Amino acid sequence: MASVTYDHVYKRFGDVTAVNDLNIQIADKEFLVFVGPSGCGKTTSLRLLAGLEEISDGQILIGDRVVNDVPPKDRDIAMVFQSYALYPHMTVYDNMAFGLKLRKTPKDEIAQRVREAAEILDIDHLLDRKPKQLSGGQRQRVAVGRAIVREPAVFLFDEPLSNLDAKLRVQTRAQLTKLHQRLQTTFIYVTHDQVEAMTMATRIAVMKDGILQQIDTPQNLYDKPSNVFVGGFIGSPSMNFFDATLVESDGKLEVNAGGFRLEVPGEKASAWAPYKGKEVIFGIRPEDVHSKQFTPPGILESDMTAKVDVTELMGNEIFLYLLTGDDKQFIGRVDPRVKVDSGDQIELAVNMGNAHIFDPKTEVALGE
Amino acid sequence: MKTQRASWLYLPLLLMAAFYILPMYIMLSTGFKSFAEVSLKTMWNLPTGIHLENFQRAYEALAPNLWNSVRLVVPAAIISSILGSLNGFVLAKWKFRGADLIFPLILFGMFIPYQSILIPLVEFMKRINLYGGIWGLVLTHVIYGIPITTLTFRNYYAGIPVELVEASRIDGAGILGVYWHIMLPLSIPSFVVVLIWQFTAAWNDFLFAVVLTKPASWPVTVALNNLAGSQIIEWNVQMAGSFLAALPTLLVYIFLGRYFLRGLLAGAVKG
Amino acid sequence: MSLSRDRLISIALVSPSILAVLVFVYGFIFWSVRVSMSNWVGLLPDYSWAGLANYRNLMHDPRFHIDVRNTVIFTVLFVAGCLALGLILAVLLDQGLRGETFFRNLFLFPMAISFIVTGVVWRWLMNPAQGSRISGLNLLFDKMGLDFLINQWYTTPYWGIGFIAIPAIWQMSGYTMALYLGGLRSIPDEVREAARVDGASEWQLYRYVILPLLSPITLTAMIILGHISLKVFDLIVAVAGKQLPLDVPAIYMWTTTFDGGFYNRGAAIGILLLLSVAVLVIPYLRYTLRTEAEL
Repeated sequence: MASVTYDHVYKRFGDVTAVNDLNIQIADKEFLVFVGPSGCGKTTSLRLLAGLEEISDGQILIGDRVVNDVPPKDRDIAMVFQSYALYPHMTVYDNMAFGLKLRKTPKDEIAQRVREAAEILDIDHLLDRKPKQLSGGQRQRVAVGRAIVREPAVFLFDEPLSNLDAKLRVQTRAQLTKLHQRLQTTFIYVTHDQVEAMTMATRIAVMKDGILQQIDTPQNLYDKPSNVFVGGFIGSPSMNFFDATLVESDGKLEVNAGGFRLEVPGEKASAWAPYKGKEVIFGIRPEDVHSKQFTPPGILESDMTAKVDVTELMGNEIFLYLLTGDDKQFIGRVDPRVKVDSGDQIELAVNMGNAHIFDPKTEVALGE
Repeated sequence: MKTQRASWLYLPLLLMAAFYILPMYIMLSTGFKSFAEVSLKTMWNLPTGIHLENFQRAYEALAPNLWNSVRLVVPAAIISSILGSLNGFVLAKWKFRGADLIFPLILFGMFIPYQSILIPLVEFMKRINLYGGIWGLVLTHVIYGIPITTLTFRNYYAGIPVELVEASRIDGAGILGVYWHIMLPLSIPSFVVVLIWQFTAAWNDFLFAVVLTKPASWPVTVALNNLAGSQIIEWNVQMAGSFLAALPTLLVYIFLGRYFLRGLLAGAVKG
Repeated sequence: MSLSRDRLISIALVSPSILAVLVFVYGFIFWSVRVSMSNWVGLLPDYSWAGLANYRNLMHDPRFHIDVRNTVIFTVLFVAGCLALGLILAVLLDQGLRGETFFRNLFLFPMAISFIVTGVVWRWLMNPAQGSRISGLNLLFDKMGLDFLINQWYTTPYWGIGFIAIPAIWQMSGYTMALYLGGLRSIPDEVREAARVDGASEWQLYRYVILPLLSPITLTAMIILGHISLKVFDLIVAVAGKQLPLDVPAIYMWTTTFDGGFYNRGAAIGILLLLSVAVLVIPYLRYTLRTEAEL
């Protein structure tokens, strides 16, 4: 059990800065997820912590100890790799026992710990098999088991679910969450899948181009994205963005996006008032674009119309691909009872309470 | 820490390098000495200048044999490569019943000690009137080259997706069309590998050559061995001759080493 | 229709090769077996039946005993030397040092040279003369003050054949290195990293993870080197000529047949060589082709 600190950490590969001034304090027992598109530096950040890459600048601490020059084997960490990296010539048992054997753990203790871990992961019937004889899901659990038996201070996961099929991935997600609760140890997890991040993390660190964009709880990240990138990255389908101007009309604040106008009601108006007359990027999530016919109660409603381009029935909801007056596409998630066809005009009720504006130059969130 | 570890590793590497260079050094430094400098006492000294007398003498002695080698090796390498490619294609992508039985049978031919077929081979060549000359040797190299060329091509073709064959068949290609338009163009790199390998193997062969050819048709390996065995020829000329005999394959190795290595590894049966 | 036509073409394409291999390999082996059971001595073929007499004679032939002993000594030293040197070189080159390509090519280039050239050069390097006529490596050792290394090389009584393994190792260890290097490169980085995170030192990483993963390559190399060693012939002839203390079956076969005219005995030696290679190679081929089929 230990905290982890990234203190002004840089990693450069030649001219490329893969990790740029990373500062994070990870508390003991946290489940921190690094998320971002490929090449954003999330995996490098994890490998720096594991000691598999050398830090170019800055410090990494595990607990109170600076580990910059500590080799991986002495960092008290365990890691689950994307390809699982099981030793092909060893049985499942030997794979899990290997780290303990190297540490000269007594034989009976090794046996006990391997057995316990195998039971937790439901692989106790596979201990005599070789990795070749296992399914993808089983291999993944062996890789996790190999990490568990070590009882390390920090668990590292590098996209451990990306080689599993969709159904297994959902199950394993839940198992990992349970495992974290059970082990009460720091988990640090890298993924490109924001759903994994949202469902498992206690905190999420969103990265892009080597730079940490935002670090917060999943809920805060969703509710208060600090910039356009985070707003667009978290949530599926993505947030809709429009170039717009905040204008005053009849004494009321309005978002004017060219193809539509939306009144800014209530407390949002006072929060956004300082940006009156300014150009902004207006952001609204598809789930906050409702059909006027079935407006949910209690939202900070503002109305507009749009043309329906394509409809996708999902069963419990409909994804509407909509066109603004000036033919910009955006998405709404509306009640399944809505009956519209391609080409129809539809009355929309937008929940302005969850709308966001961003600075068009810096793309940083405004008025939060 | 890393740089420290790296630098001491050069010590064993350089020691090994010396072991590998030593014969090359003695071959070249002796070759370039003048007759006056040559003495067993000063064997390890560098030559005082570049003298070509040894190479001239060696070339005079070996020239006909070097040309014999060329005339022998070029057709042998080309023909066995073509045959290997056809076999490899059929065995990998157009399997007929019994193909899986045939392949190991062919493969085993790569490993047999040729002493076990030498007597019939000589008898056979005598009967078909190819004994003593170059063409009998060419035929021999072509046929005993089939196993390794087939193996290399089969492994290469096996790695090409079946979908490619199927797509071209749906597009209207027959077996020859698939081979000519799809497989052959794709396997140019393999051809280089196999050609080089067969070139080297045939050039360096001694056993077949010494049994099947008469002095007029001797390739360079046989002639060199004779040169070395004779008491009259000075050892400095032998060194120069060795270098001349090794030069063609060394050049191939220097310029096409990448392919040479692939040929080597293909011989290990693994795909 | 077109399928069966293509099938015919496919068979037509391979049948010349298959036929040639069947005749030149299997037909000739059968023919050799027949000769080995005949009384053929001299230039005129004589296929009168001798049964296993030629084989029995070899079993009691002191020269053949020397051959077998020499082959065993040579094979052990040659295979062990190539494996050890090849592995060491491969591991050294796998450390990502600068100049890796240069060293790799240097260790490999002897492979491009014929055994005859190697033999001719090494016969001078391993010149056994001492005293006033000292030369070759002995001279080098003398100059470097390493006099204890001066020796009789391949003229050493009894163990002389062992020294022939030196040029053979010089020539073939690069091949073993290439095999091992290929194996090392095929081990995923993540597996090495997993071992490091698991707590393995560099030494333990090689001892417990990498070496075991290389064992199939060791097997392959042993088979290939072993069968080369059984066939060794030109190297010995080029280093030392044909002399009894350095005799091996391949040389015996050659001299007794083509110099002595004992075709029956020569064929028997050839067949015995074939059997010993087959014992090595057939299980190996079966194993590799079967694992290939499983993949």
